[in-house]
Amino acid sequence: MIRWDWIGRNLDDIAESLAEHLTLTVIAVLVGFALSFAASLLIHRRRWLYAPFTSVSGFLYTIPSLALFAFLVPFTGLSLLTAEIGLVSYTLLILIRNTVAGLDGVPAEVREAADGMGYSRSQRLWRVELPLALPVIVAGLRIATVTTIGLVMVTALIGQGGLGQLMLRGFNRQFPTMIYVGFVLSVALAVIADAALLLAQRALTPWSRGGVR
Amino acid sequence: MRLNRMAAFGASVLVLLSACTTGGGGAQAPAGTTPVQVPPVATDTISPGATQTDPGAPTPSSPAAGSPAASGSPSGGGASGPTLASTLVLGAPPECPERPFCAVGLRKKYGIEFKEIRALDPGGPLTVAAVEKGQVDVGLLFTSDPAIAIKGFVLLEDDKQLQLSDNLIPVIRREVLDASPEIADLINPWMAKLTQEELTELNRRVSIDQEAPADVVEEWLAENGLQQAQGEAPGQGKRVVVGSTNFYEQEILGEIFAQVLEANAYDVDRRFNLGNREIVFPALQAGEIDLLAEYIATALEFVNKGKGEASADPAATAQKFRQRLEPLRLTALDYAPATDQNGFVVTQETARKYDLSKLSDLARPAP
Repeated sequence: MIRWDWIGRNLDDIAESLAEHLTLTVIAVLVGFALSFAASLLIHRRRWLYAPFTSVSGFLYTIPSLALFAFLVPFTGLSLLTAEIGLVSYTLLILIRNTVAGLDGVPAEVREAADGMGYSRSQRLWRVELPLALPVIVAGLRIATVTTIGLVMVTALIGQGGLGQLMLRGFNRQFPTMIYVGFVLSVALAVIADAALLLAQRALTPWSRGGVR
Repeated sequence: MRLNRMAAFGASVLVLLSACTTGGGGAQAPAGTTPVQVPPVATDTISPGATQTDPGAPTPSSPAAGSPAASGSPSGGGASGPTLASTLVLGAPPECPERPFCAVGLRKKYGIEFKEIRALDPGGPLTVAAVEKGQVDVGLLFTSDPAIAIKGFVLLEDDKQLQLSDNLIPVIRREVLDASPEIADLINPWMAKLTQEELTELNRRVSIDQEAPADVVEEWLAENGLQQAQGEAPGQGKRVVVGSTNFYEQEILGEIFAQVLEANAYDVDRRFNLGNREIVFPALQAGEIDLLAEYIATALEFVNKGKGEASADPAATAQKFRQRLEPLRLTALDYAPATDQNGFVVTQETARKYDLSKLSDLARPAP
């Protein structure tokens, strides 16, 4: 059923697909997080921005990837950029909602205590609110990362796709080994990335150790 | 057997893919966070909503004179009410409902509309398995698909000539051909050699024997006398990007172009397994790919947005196709004798049950 000899002969190809998958995911999550973080801080200051930001990111989330890529290809080609525009826009909704929810979850008493201790607004944000919001923000990052690892596959439509490309090629050629390899590696990637983010969050929030995650 | 298991697995991959194409799918927020709204996942079935009230074919009591559908009314004369097709499910690629040689043509020419069109792969293992297992009654495959003979499917005769000259034809960017006119002389002889038998055999080796397209093509080219250019090769220092959609026959054609060019010292970049025409045509126009195999009639009707200019004459259709490609800064080389048309297949059991041998049989009144 599994052609181990094919795997042996194509380790380079497989490693390349895995690396491409990882690159597509990391760029998408980092850029998506940077944009969402900035947006969330804006929303935190100017509450009325919440509705427009979430409806725009919600709208982006519902655009079918084929339509998005068909629209983008004349401008940005079959490139990494086209793939990332799609992937980044699909992370925004999750990340903005979670970051804002995290900041909102900081108890009012804590905020008042910080004010009482003479913290400025930005001191309060960086030293009190963000650390307390971290578990929820990381929870958003974990969903976004795992979702993106799955979504990278659709960028195979434009010749990117990492492991998705491997699986699609296997499917077209009716060569199951390629599908199994792509499947196992992408699941492993998702599990490892999720665990790594969880560990990073634990390390960054020592005070919550032993409590709820 | 192997094909079946493979297809079942592939099915889940494709379901995942199609769920993903709406953007998200199963994003679940862990407890304690604001739940993320999950967008509606695109349904993978397209029901021609009005099937029951408007069976496509006009009924005798309401003579729709002058309507384009009138010419496609069932030949059965006394057909009133739903057709046999309106009780059956068609398995076809997702773009079928909009395509002139698929649902649109079936309605206009044959007056048939299926109960449901289930979106499957373009003539691939998923469709073969769905037909074989009875998940769809009628499947859209391609006539050069070796699986039709191997699975013993009945290819319904296209008795009203809906499918036109779908010979394989290389589409190339004007700019590339102007800069390297010799590409035509290099590729054209190989298109001439690509007969129906040769194409079906190449397809069989890839889709049934599971050989790699690159290896199959390399052997085929060597057997047919491909020479590696010696000394002053025309392609020295020139780069050509060869594309293909995600269908094994396309990859085979892509390999033929790529290897012929490589034998003449071109630097070839392969962009294979791309999405359908909605992706590859913009990519051709944007100069992201230079050369791609197409099917004359279907591609012409895609480019001219279904004006009905394709005919059963490949030369005339190809000429029209080149005219239509002109404003897109594209052109086409010589077409191959081999064609690959949409073919509607049923299992022998289904054929017996409904007494089917040709497409117009589907326009008979429902039992």
